[in-house]
Amino acid sequence: MFVYEKKLQYPVRVKNCNPKLAAVIISQYGGPDGELGASLRYLSQRYAMPYPELKGLLTDIGTEELGHLEMVGTLVHQLTRNLNEDQIRTAGFDAYFVDHTTGVYPQFASGYPWSASTMQVTGDIIADLTENLAAEQKARLTYDNILRLSDDPDVNNVIRFLREREIVHFQRFGETNQSR
Amino acid sequence: MNPDNGINTRPCADSCGTMPACAPLAVPYVPFQQQGSLKYDQTNALANGTVFPSLNLPFHLKVDAAGLPANLSTQLQALLFVVTELGLYLDTHQNDVEAFQLFQQYTEMARKAKKQYEEVHGPLTSLSAGQDKTYRWLDDPWPWEFQKNEGD
Repeated sequence: MFVYEKKLQYPVRVKNCNPKLAAVIISQYGGPDGELGASLRYLSQRYAMPYPELKGLLTDIGTEELGHLEMVGTLVHQLTRNLNEDQIRTAGFDAYFVDHTTGVYPQFASGYPWSASTMQVTGDIIADLTENLAAEQKARLTYDNILRLSDDPDVNNVIRFLREREIVHFQRFGETNQSR
Repeated sequence: MNPDNGINTRPCADSCGTMPACAPLAVPYVPFQQQGSLKYDQTNALANGTVFPSLNLPFHLKVDAAGLPANLSTQLQALLFVVTELGLYLDTHQNDVEAFQLFQQYTEMARKAKKQYEEVHGPLTSLSAGQDKTYRWLDDPWPWEFQKNEGD
């Protein structure tokens, strides 16, 4: 059972509209290494896990990823609020706009819709945990690339936070081979 | 940093962890974080995205510390963040007594901060919405809506 808590994990306050940046950040909402795939991967892997620390860790990290999904959606929403006529024609955002206006839709930066083919649930502990180590690194590097593309400090603070969480999650998944 | 960081007998520097002397082949290993690792206070933990300085490995091009507003909302986020972070640590270090005591302290502080926050800003969950005088669950702002930092 999930209970909604009406707050974000980390404050998101983006003053300036920037649809071009929103069009790349959307990839961490529904892209190949984004937060939607992360949360579904971990929450779905739980059922085949035999050990309590793995059931707990996948539940806790999977739940945190849902909170990150909400933060990324918030970034996209705030970067596209109060768009003017010129801004909807921004290169890189016009293609998104024609399909979704300023709604937040889970897709890759390239426009491909979110796909379960980006994640795996194998039912095998070693295969799943190794997949998760790779997944955390891929999410981390996507945040690196967003930092390379963004010069908005309001956005960068949030991205830095999310990036650091990937490092901590990598550490915890890696420790499970030695925690018993 | 937290002043009462307990430095136990630890074989490695704080930024390093231990590896098994002998371990099954063909399994990936990450150095195991030692007990008694240094910890940030809750505000610095939220700003850095981790409670552990040893795990704080920022992207080299953008390392400016985050300036977080000092308000009830951020204070609550900081406390709940440490609860989440220490919870993950305890998932792989369930016998770390000192970390569990810190976890207990933070859960208690977060519980009080939640109550204080809800008195000012309204319910965080439907359970607390039911304990309110009127139905305030629908009151703006929702978490994704832009708010200025002032007036919190």
